[in-house]
Amino acid sequence: MLKGVHQKLEPQESVAFFVRGPSPFSRMMFFCALSIVLMAVDSRLNYLAQFRQTFIAALHPLEMVANAPSEWGMNIRQYFTSHNRLLVENQQLKQQAVEHKVMLQRLSTIELENSHLKTLLKGNAPLIPKAILGEILHMGRDPFSNVIVINRGTQHGVKAGQAVVDAEGVVGQVTRAFPFSAEVTLITDDNLSIPIQVERNQLRAIAFGEGKSNTIDLPFLPTSVDIKVGDKLVTSGIDGVYPAGLAVAKVTQVRQSPDSPFAKIVSTPIAGVNNHLQLLILSLPEPEMTIEEENPPSAPATPPVVTKPDPKLVAKPKLKPNAPR
Amino acid sequence: MRPVNITTVLLTLIVALTFQLYPWSGQGVILRPDFLLVVTLYWVIRAPYLVNVGLSWFAGLIVDLSTGSLLGQHALAFGFAAFLALLYQRRLVLFNRWQLTIYIFALLIAERAIVLMLKLFADYDNPGLSYFWPVITSLILWQLMVLMFGAPTRPRH
Repeated sequence: MLKGVHQKLEPQESVAFFVRGPSPFSRMMFFCALSIVLMAVDSRLNYLAQFRQTFIAALHPLEMVANAPSEWGMNIRQYFTSHNRLLVENQQLKQQAVEHKVMLQRLSTIELENSHLKTLLKGNAPLIPKAILGEILHMGRDPFSNVIVINRGTQHGVKAGQAVVDAEGVVGQVTRAFPFSAEVTLITDDNLSIPIQVERNQLRAIAFGEGKSNTIDLPFLPTSVDIKVGDKLVTSGIDGVYPAGLAVAKVTQVRQSPDSPFAKIVSTPIAGVNNHLQLLILSLPEPEMTIEEENPPSAPATPPVVTKPDPKLVAKPKLKPNAPR
Repeated sequence: MRPVNITTVLLTLIVALTFQLYPWSGQGVILRPDFLLVVTLYWVIRAPYLVNVGLSWFAGLIVDLSTGSLLGQHALAFGFAAFLALLYQRRLVLFNRWQLTIYIFALLIAERAIVLMLKLFADYDNPGLSYFWPVITSLILWQLMVLMFGAPTRPRH
């Protein structure tokens, strides 16, 4: 409505003394109220998710344009990579491939044996999580949050909630999926927690991100807990999001303070988000897997025990060795 | 000071948005100027009949959408900065270049402070003083805008 008035009066803009529309103050009040409403709706209700998705999709071409210079830069750098370095890298990769092949040979026999044992125990066959390969687009534009944006979205089958890993370990979890991109919250974000297990002694705990400091915290563990510096933390798999056994972090500091009943355990993530671009987005376990239950004809006298086959414990990741670095 | 038409304004805003969308990383994130804000404020002061609180608010909303932050945070801050600019717009055009730069500095600080406040309300970590570094780079960008499009002030008679 304001626009119409302005367009009509545009030619005499500089001398328009009286026709300036509503005062800046009233405009400001109106838009203040509007943004407060928006913030409330966006933070508490879920109505705007679709709007956001549509907009991000519409912004995609502009993003491609914005990304182009850095891509050219990378291409040019790749083009000028020295022959020598490529040879060295090739050699290293070949060596790794051989090592991995040997490991894989053992793995396949063990897997076979494992699945055989599982079927004997009436469990389900081990589940190999499907994965989508993605690339980091940018490290998030908001200095407040620990997110990265990847180039795979709902169009490629990415859903919010999926775990994201790289060749070394867990990176984080998809928190928002847009048509052509997705937002991955890193495990160091203070809103993300991840169930872990100490590899050495199978002790289970929950790890929380620490936000800014790029570390992971294990709170509420007694001072007597058996965790040492250098321990490797892996996913325990009891959440149904992360398959069990993925490396998460390495303990760097264990401190006991006399005034606290809990130990202060700090660890740093293993995954190298800053080092390489490629990531794997693991698909969530099938929903029927978690609901599925067996009702064996048990003795009626005993209370009905619901035996849930634990699909997460079954899921050992096997795709790691091939993950490009 | 030549009058401007709306297409120039929109084109510069789109270019500013493209720069904003560039995948800044490392030190770049800390130093990245607020492209869209600087360009918006420039047009608010130079052509308040084209760019008012409403369009600034909308530019802020686009920043919100592209950063994935809570909708309305940057919008509110942009709208408020534009309001502060409009409040004294008649006087600002009589300022000399450095007086105007100081005023812009205050506006940029105000915008950052509002976003910081809203983020802290929404339970984010305090990013520390480095959060205000982009104000300096934004001022450099402002000087660039003045070089490219001319000072938004009227020459004194």
